[in-house]
Amino acid sequence: MKHRIVHLGLAAVIALILLPRGGMTQKFSDPPFKVKLDFNRWHDTDELYADMRKLAAAWPKFVKTSSIGKSHQGREIMLVTVNNPDTGPEMSKAAMFIEANVHGNEIQGGEICLYTVWYLMENYGRLEAVTRLVDERVFYLIPTINPDGRQYFFESPGGSARTGHVPVDDDNDGLFDEDGPDDLNGNGVIEQIRKYAPGQGTHRPSRLDPRLLEPVPFGETGDYILLGSEGIDNDKDGRVNEDGPGGYDGNRNYPSDWQPNYIQSGAMDYPTQLPEARAEVEFLASHPNIAGVQSYHNFGGMILRGPGAEAVGEYPRADVQAYDELGRNGERILPFYRYIVIWSGLYTVHGGFIDFTNDTLGMISFSNELWSNEQYYTSAELKEQQKDPDSPIAPQKSRFFFDDKLEFGDQFLDWKPFRHPDYGDVEIGGTWKKFTGRVPPRFMLEELCHRNMAFTLYQADEMPLVRLGETSVEKVGGDVYRAFVDISNPKVAPTILEKAAQNNTVRPDLLTLEGKNLEVISASWIDNKAVYKLRPSVTSLIDQKNLKRILIRNGLPGKTTRTIMYFLKGSGEITVKYDSVKGGTAAKTFKLRS
Amino acid sequence: MNPRKRAFRSRWAWFALPALFLAGGAAAQDFSKYLNNAEMTAWLKSFASAHKALVKLESIGKTLENRDLWMLAIANPAGVPAEERPALLLAANFEGDQLFGGALAMFTADYLVKNASRTEVKKCLDEGVVYILPRANPDGAEARWAPVLWDRRTNATPVDDDNDGRVDEDGPDDLNKDGLITFMRVADPSGAFIVDPEDKRAMRRADPKKGEKGEYALYWEGIDNDGDGFINEDPPGGVNINRNFMHEYPYHKSEAGRYMVSEAETRAVLEWIVKHRNIAAILTFGASDNLIIPPTSSGQLGPARGLDLVSFAEASVVGAGKTGMFAGGLASLLGRGGRGGGEMMISEDMLQMIMASGGLEMLFGGRGGGAQRGGTAASGAQQPSGRAAMPARQAATTVNASDLDYFRMIAQKYAEITGLRTPPLSAKPEGAFFQYGYFQFGVPSFSTPGWGLPDGPRGGGPGMSQGGGAPAGGPPGGGLPSAAQIQQFAAAMGQRAGALGQRGAAAAGGEAPAGIDKAILQWMDKEKIDGFVPWTKVKHPDFGEVEVGGFKPYAATNPSAAKIAELGKSHAEFALYLTSLFPRIRVAELEAKNHGGGLFRIKAEVSNEGFLPTALAHAVIARAVKPTMVQLQVPPESIVSGSAKTSFIQALNGSGKRQKFEWLIQAKPGETVALKIVSQKGGAAAASVVLK
Repeated sequence: MKHRIVHLGLAAVIALILLPRGGMTQKFSDPPFKVKLDFNRWHDTDELYADMRKLAAAWPKFVKTSSIGKSHQGREIMLVTVNNPDTGPEMSKAAMFIEANVHGNEIQGGEICLYTVWYLMENYGRLEAVTRLVDERVFYLIPTINPDGRQYFFESPGGSARTGHVPVDDDNDGLFDEDGPDDLNGNGVIEQIRKYAPGQGTHRPSRLDPRLLEPVPFGETGDYILLGSEGIDNDKDGRVNEDGPGGYDGNRNYPSDWQPNYIQSGAMDYPTQLPEARAEVEFLASHPNIAGVQSYHNFGGMILRGPGAEAVGEYPRADVQAYDELGRNGERILPFYRYIVIWSGLYTVHGGFIDFTNDTLGMISFSNELWSNEQYYTSAELKEQQKDPDSPIAPQKSRFFFDDKLEFGDQFLDWKPFRHPDYGDVEIGGTWKKFTGRVPPRFMLEELCHRNMAFTLYQADEMPLVRLGETSVEKVGGDVYRAFVDISNPKVAPTILEKAAQNNTVRPDLLTLEGKNLEVISASWIDNKAVYKLRPSVTSLIDQKNLKRILIRNGLPGKTTRTIMYFLKGSGEITVKYDSVKGGTAAKTFKLRS
Repeated sequence: MNPRKRAFRSRWAWFALPALFLAGGAAAQDFSKYLNNAEMTAWLKSFASAHKALVKLESIGKTLENRDLWMLAIANPAGVPAEERPALLLAANFEGDQLFGGALAMFTADYLVKNASRTEVKKCLDEGVVYILPRANPDGAEARWAPVLWDRRTNATPVDDDNDGRVDEDGPDDLNKDGLITFMRVADPSGAFIVDPEDKRAMRRADPKKGEKGEYALYWEGIDNDGDGFINEDPPGGVNINRNFMHEYPYHKSEAGRYMVSEAETRAVLEWIVKHRNIAAILTFGASDNLIIPPTSSGQLGPARGLDLVSFAEASVVGAGKTGMFAGGLASLLGRGGRGGGEMMISEDMLQMIMASGGLEMLFGGRGGGAQRGGTAASGAQQPSGRAAMPARQAATTVNASDLDYFRMIAQKYAEITGLRTPPLSAKPEGAFFQYGYFQFGVPSFSTPGWGLPDGPRGGGPGMSQGGGAPAGGPPGGGLPSAAQIQQFAAAMGQRAGALGQRGAAAAGGEAPAGIDKAILQWMDKEKIDGFVPWTKVKHPDFGEVEVGGFKPYAATNPSAAKIAELGKSHAEFALYLTSLFPRIRVAELEAKNHGGGLFRIKAEVSNEGFLPTALAHAVIARAVKPTMVQLQVPPESIVSGSAKTSFIQALNGSGKRQKFEWLIQAKPGETVALKIVSQKGGAAAASVVLK
């Protein structure tokens, strides 16, 4: 078989005729991926895990899969670690933690996790920026923190898919999860039920689209009665579908600003009561090297940061600066996404995951609400046209238009007759399938994966990174020397968030000096060495008893170089080391001599 | 969908122990001493084994040091399963040093069993259950039997208290080799303290406005093990279990743990209690009090009261958690440091000023530093949307006005039964279990140290606000204020008492009426308690000559063991009294009337024959107690009018209060119609009627 590839030059057309070589039929595909995964379909828990294992098998040196614990129903909570062991053990490098799918129905974060590991590996050694990132950082990914909820979303006909699956007695009758929805017509979707009652109904087909049922205006009558969602009275208590699976919100069960159920519904009885939340909290608390967190949710097109509740208080100014820099660039990487504070821009959340990671663990944390309906209108004209109520893409109509024209009617289930055990002859339907609305159409999934990964990798790249710059030594007299050491963090994120410093939630950075017969007479910070040398000023002494091990409680801010000035007594080699839990370690050796 | 019934059942272990235990030797504890963990475990096992008919013993969890968390269940097993009867939970020793409470709890267990044939006790054990957790923090409690004693409340979890990257590296050191960690005073012209002229053993803050010059600095007894300039700022352990629960959790404060429910002990208690929703009242013995001093008319608890010496010594280590804060933060506030430059330095003087203004914790939030709330930095994040304009709900922090009468009446009964009028030291409950019990679990929940001080002399003497920073207007008088005075004082402090943070028992001096040390000394003198080490000169490696002395560990937090039996009896009686108050659901009336045509009218009246309501007002608001379910056992489609098949009563008051229900059903004569009532706290009831 022959391949023909055509190159267009300025003046010539050169045709190259290639001979086939041992089965490498894709040699000139660009790039020739090692592992082929699909990003135009949805993966249930098992498929997601299987694909992750495929990546681990393809790049065993870098990618490891393990388990941080089990879900309520006994599924593994898979952790995928991406680390280059040649550049140091995990704990010596800043790590980015990426998790998804705490709400069972918010699935697409799982695909982003898969895409991220795949992309990092396929491009390691190919793209300089990716190679550097993998060498400098560690990535921890939990593709689904609610594997029960994800599986339920795929397997079941729907309903209550947001929750996890620890049984809750929603209706106070002492029975747990005993009356959920029932897929009466067996088509895999929990639909609505309506009954035709001419002239006596409360609803009527909408003039916008007959598939849409709308309540009748005051004073008029309709032809349909809405009878709720598909189901029967399983426990014969006189109520239908009143106690379905679970019945809580896994993202309200974290131990930071956790509030009881009556303040924060879905919070459960106490924080980390859910096995999934507990496993995650314990993993994070034992990995202080994690400096960045992304928790993927859906939907609405948002880059969220905390605080989740107003009463917690806005973050300190220095922290807000770092968040703003990342968030604003996020808006540029992710068109149609807005950078928003949870409580003020979305709604109040108590006991949410990223409040815990920021407030209790001092990790810069974002939560992306994946997919915005606005992404259908990819031009200003279409957006403008939406304002015209007669346009087929006017509000309420547009969803039908896009389903008809872009997905060929894949997503909407129209009304169909059905004989109900209690209600007699009814119609079932009028419902959108689960893979629409909160998730993009499948053909738009790959872009969603890539852009969100790009934002998260940008965040990972801007995690703190400590560097020791120039050191200079000058003799003061006798065996007394003055030494200047430049310490810098070229990244956006500080080594320690201001809030973490105030609350002592992150170990302080340590600046240590080692040398034989070394005495440290004093240590002081100076902002700018050049200015200081031209025009010396009085600097404050660092008031710590042990100047060979200086504590820097609020760390090194982002995009900053600071200089420490020592007066030292001694001779020979001195090793200076800056040790940051989240920014890594840097060391340098200099000599005391004139 | 298959209905699944999940009835949580406890797995009680029956202890079949060798005959030597059955002989009663070990079971015959005379409660004349405090028991270490091995002794307590042996006693609990032999006690359970000797009274198998009534007592079950279960380990509900293990600590870091692998000690069991023992739970007793005492009930007559005949009749309704124990987990469906109203229960009292008695729990103690969450703070490691509160051993007296654990002893009271064990005494109560013993007392109930010994008096099992008495009418009131029989009723309690036939119709209810008493669960007893005598020691919620066994790792912390075991410090009482260490070679060197110090006032340790915390469990064994290693905590880097001063966050300097080294864990538990600077604990106390016994300088005078008396086996006790007390205090250390150092002659220091820049010190803030003087010897109290009224009682030369006590120390107080010098008042420059009265021309007094400070002469001493105060520390814990110890040396600067890690060379950071602070003494005993990072002792072994740990977390105080009564600061690790969720209600008013003291975020980032000392002894609170890294986060809520971070500790094995806390989790074990919560896992257990949420499976025991039949618990209808909770009584804890510990460092906080709402029984000797009942909540005020606005539902607030009395102020915390801690030793002055403790708060003075604590102030000496607060700076350890701030060393190395450069630039920003509090630097500008305190007038030191600058951009990128100065380290924030806090002088002892500055600390004391802050402390005296009552706001230490507002600035630092404990040894570890405080959350700065409500920053106003403008953000690039987008502006509030309409949804955020909704006012956020806040969790209740005061006893609901409708529940207050129950609390006050029960406290009054407590005073009657125990004779206790003046609490000893008491800690502000932040993250305390008994507060969880009311505010989140939703039942009447109490705490008491279980002992008290004699009322002190009234009137005269220096004001209570001296030294420790209590706001002006504190209770007048020298000795200890009476219950009424403290109530008045607490009411006057209003919200402020709640707003100020505090370090458990240790830092109560920052907030409560100071000057308590002298009163404690008077009590010790009167009771002939050897609880104070006289100040004695000792050589110190850093300071040269110092004086070591002050309150002995445990001496001011526990009475002598001789009090166990004396106060044990009255506390057992009080526990018994609490069980007599439980709500008791009954079907008071059930009748059926035949209207002909297959139509029947069913009328029922449900009553609460107990004293307490089936749910407190706060429990209804907090949805903490399930509403009482009233269910007619007929097919739902047979009900044509009236109540729903499954109806609910949010709360039904006690003392015989009734609620009526009525159904119109289609049925046939001769059929039996049953009514089923399930109340989480008031038990279950059932009745049936034959249709005629």
